[in-house]
Amino acid sequence: MLVNLAQNLLNGLMTGMLIAIPAIGFSAIYAVLRYPNFAIAAYATIGAFAGWWLNSTFGLGIVWIILIAFCVSGVVGVAAEQVTLARLRPAGVLTVAIASIALNLMLENAVRFLFGNDLRGFDLAIQPDWRILALRIGPQQVQNMLLSLAIMAAVFLFLRYSPFGKAMRAVADNSDLARLKGINPTRIAVATIFMGAGLAGVGGVLLGLDTSIDPMTGARILLSIFAAAVLGGLGSIPGAVVGALLIGMAEEVSLLAFPATYKTAIGFVAILLILTLRPRGLLGERAL
Amino acid sequence: MTTLNLDRRSFLAASAAVAGASFLPGSLLAQDGPIRIGTLTPLTGAGGPYGPVMVKAVKAVVEKVNAAGGVKGRMVEIVSEDDQTNPEAGVRAARKLIDVDRVSAIIGTWASSVTTAVAPLCWESKTFLCTVSGADAITLLPHQGYLVRTQPNTALQGRKFGEFAVAQGGKKVFYLSPQTPFADSQYAAIEAALTKVGGESRKYIYDDKKPSYRSEVDEMLRYAPDTIVLGGYTPDTSVLLKDIYRSGFTGTKIAFGYSVNQKLLDTVQPELAEGIFTISPSPAAGSEAYKALVSLTGVASPDPYTTQIYDHINLVLLAIAAAGQASGEAIRSKIRAVSQSPDGVKVDNAVDGLKLIAEGRPINYDGASGPCDFTDIGDIIDCQFRYDQVRAGKLTLVKIA
Amino acid sequence: MLSYLLFTLTIGGIYAMLALSLNLIWGGVGMVNLGLAGFFAVGAYATAIVTGAGAPVIVGLGSALLAGVIVGLLVTYGTLRLRGDYLAIVTLGLAEVIRLIALNERWLTHGADGMSGIVAPLRSMVGSQAFNLGYLVFVSTVVILLWLLLRRLDHSPFGRAIKAVREDQELAAFAGKPVLRLKLQTFAVSAAVASLAGALYSHFQSYISPDHFQPLITIYIFLAVSAGGVGRPAGAVIGAYAVVAFLEGTRFVAELLPGVDPLQAAALREMLVGAALLLVLHLRPQGLLPERIQPARKT
Repeated sequence: MLVNLAQNLLNGLMTGMLIAIPAIGFSAIYAVLRYPNFAIAAYATIGAFAGWWLNSTFGLGIVWIILIAFCVSGVVGVAAEQVTLARLRPAGVLTVAIASIALNLMLENAVRFLFGNDLRGFDLAIQPDWRILALRIGPQQVQNMLLSLAIMAAVFLFLRYSPFGKAMRAVADNSDLARLKGINPTRIAVATIFMGAGLAGVGGVLLGLDTSIDPMTGARILLSIFAAAVLGGLGSIPGAVVGALLIGMAEEVSLLAFPATYKTAIGFVAILLILTLRPRGLLGERAL
Repeated sequence: MTTLNLDRRSFLAASAAVAGASFLPGSLLAQDGPIRIGTLTPLTGAGGPYGPVMVKAVKAVVEKVNAAGGVKGRMVEIVSEDDQTNPEAGVRAARKLIDVDRVSAIIGTWASSVTTAVAPLCWESKTFLCTVSGADAITLLPHQGYLVRTQPNTALQGRKFGEFAVAQGGKKVFYLSPQTPFADSQYAAIEAALTKVGGESRKYIYDDKKPSYRSEVDEMLRYAPDTIVLGGYTPDTSVLLKDIYRSGFTGTKIAFGYSVNQKLLDTVQPELAEGIFTISPSPAAGSEAYKALVSLTGVASPDPYTTQIYDHINLVLLAIAAAGQASGEAIRSKIRAVSQSPDGVKVDNAVDGLKLIAEGRPINYDGASGPCDFTDIGDIIDCQFRYDQVRAGKLTLVKIA
Repeated sequence: MLSYLLFTLTIGGIYAMLALSLNLIWGGVGMVNLGLAGFFAVGAYATAIVTGAGAPVIVGLGSALLAGVIVGLLVTYGTLRLRGDYLAIVTLGLAEVIRLIALNERWLTHGADGMSGIVAPLRSMVGSQAFNLGYLVFVSTVVILLWLLLRRLDHSPFGRAIKAVREDQELAAFAGKPVLRLKLQTFAVSAAVASLAGALYSHFQSYISPDHFQPLITIYIFLAVSAGGVGRPAGAVIGAYAVVAFLEGTRFVAELLPGVDPLQAAALREMLVGAALLLVLHLRPQGLLPERIQPARKT
């Protein structure tokens, strides 16, 4: 029993790491621009397709795929949001959120229009799991986890020490004050969206390595991303990571007691419970 | 206030113009002109991987028929609608096909929920409906003969899965499936087959939208089965297969032919699917229809849904020719005459069949998905199954039985 | 052709009820309910289950209203204290959970098979043509009644109070408005209206399944309310009919496009829905019928 619990916690940790990257992207955008961005699902899909295309056409390795997919999703994100959402920001949070749902629908179908519905898989070798102390651990999952950790570390270092990161956090904490200090809000907004959409794209690639991708890849994980971000506290980047790991582990552990078909519901019940007790999520809403 | 009125008026005028422009052609072309057949397949949503190929196969058949002079001199026109894998949208699309395009038949409905929702519209408007949906309840609807289904019913399919598992030496079977309308009845049949030989089995239903199934696979490993049966569709099965491969499971794996299909094999790493057995409804060995479909679509192993919709369009066109009239009633009255006439000449495609009908000879269509003989309620009477195994990355025929 | 029009108008009416529900909560207290499809499902299943057990249709409709209120209160009780964006995400999750329950609890909902043979009142007596016409009249009447009711509500002290909450929660609370209670009440009424729409759909189609209640319909309703004008019941109703006309109209446009295969046409249709919503938000954010703010009474 204890072994089962440990195994499921481990599995949850792995899926949690996968969700954490796009959840950070979502939270970063929320921290600076204050709206829940539903198009994050489409950015993940676009990143996954970009990565798949690079992999199948040029046979690029995983690090290159991640870097380029980051840029592709980032650029698509900035272009799409500047054209469709930027002008709506003064109209309020909910208007932009709804517009982002529309944007998501457009982007998902643009991918469908260009690539069709067929499944695509990365051309990478697959390895059987290791068995360590009665636990099953996948080399690929470990690799993905290390990649996730590296990306997270990079994001944290960037936000904490780079001038741009500092400016971003200043806007997130108090945008009026930041403006007074001479920070250009438009530049910060664009940079944040680039980073947020890019991270979503990387999340899509990591997901694609483990699964197969199609135009609905991002849509399938959207609820988990939201649950993670809300659980940790909307707009909190460490919160997104904690939330993702907790949701991942809760979902997997729930299988020991509940039918597997209710996996998605577990995450939802978790956020209802936490929000009832802590209306601003586990870590509150401070960006970093 | 004036701006308000203007807005309302211009809006009404605009919508009237849209409505008028779009509704005209359908009503004008109802009686003469081309024969219209509607395809209602999932092009978006969960069924998205299947629908587009199905429409392509139908269009290819119709092109051939039209090139050979059409049906009794009338050209055939396909109107394709997307059911979005959603019965609410499916019903709206079907109403348009029936009332505006006046199609004689709707073919290819895929999700059981869409078929169940659309069927009443069809029988009330006397439009013929051909479906590939698996839920057993569908043929029990009061459809007055306006519905046939080429998908074998699930109790039969489940039994084949169970018997095949036993024949492969299976004693302990783990059934992994998402929640589908036929998961329960399929499992019941598998369970029955296992109990008969003193084996055992377990059912495990999972959520088909997840990025990983490691813990589900752990559950499977704890049961320690010698055989697993996969009841899902291509997207979730491709993920599941990765986790099963990683787990080191070496027993027998059996899946539906529509799930471990050519597309899946093209997508995943070859070792994942190696050795999997697939089961699909099939015509007798050496069927020409299957070969014709292969050359028509350029796919070496067409999906079972593609083989079925290929039969739908052929059967519907032949029935129209036999009746000499393009209507749902005409198709209903003649469909069994062209599909299972005992003294008919065997045909496997519409072009040959149309020639024979023109010569006044009876025909008996045997298709790419099976002999296509239907019971009174529209289920197929008998069908053989083809058992393929993935060998060196290709679906290789093991047997047809 | 006629039956296509009758059908489309009936669906338009049902969308109009959903739009009225969304307009009440969004245009009223300024919260959004992204779980509209879920409440639609709750009403549809409630009446299907109750009438399936032998109760008359009117009891079915009543239980749909009740079920909507109960589910609405259950979900919002813990979350109403939260800001609107939290609520939006929670309601989106709720719709998925409701779909999962409908999918998995076979004993109650028949699972993935869905529930067929739901009573269609008088249908067997009058035939399907007359039923379709009669049902259109019935649904349209309900829409008109709801519209009158909600418009009245809009102009009542309650309506003014909830709009005060929408404009500035703190100020409304300061002015002595019971903010939380107003939100709960509004959400409950809004959920009930969406459930009623589901119930009417149920008896119209005689068949419902978990697949019916996917999130796309929620997007359609947001398009309807944005296009019609947030905060104006009449706008929501007109917006809903316009959306149905638009959804159906795109079919005919897609057929005219050369060199586009059916899959691409289907993708384009969905892109058009998104584009329409974005265009409305950009070009006419106040909608076709902008909200009319009543001048404050002189004292």
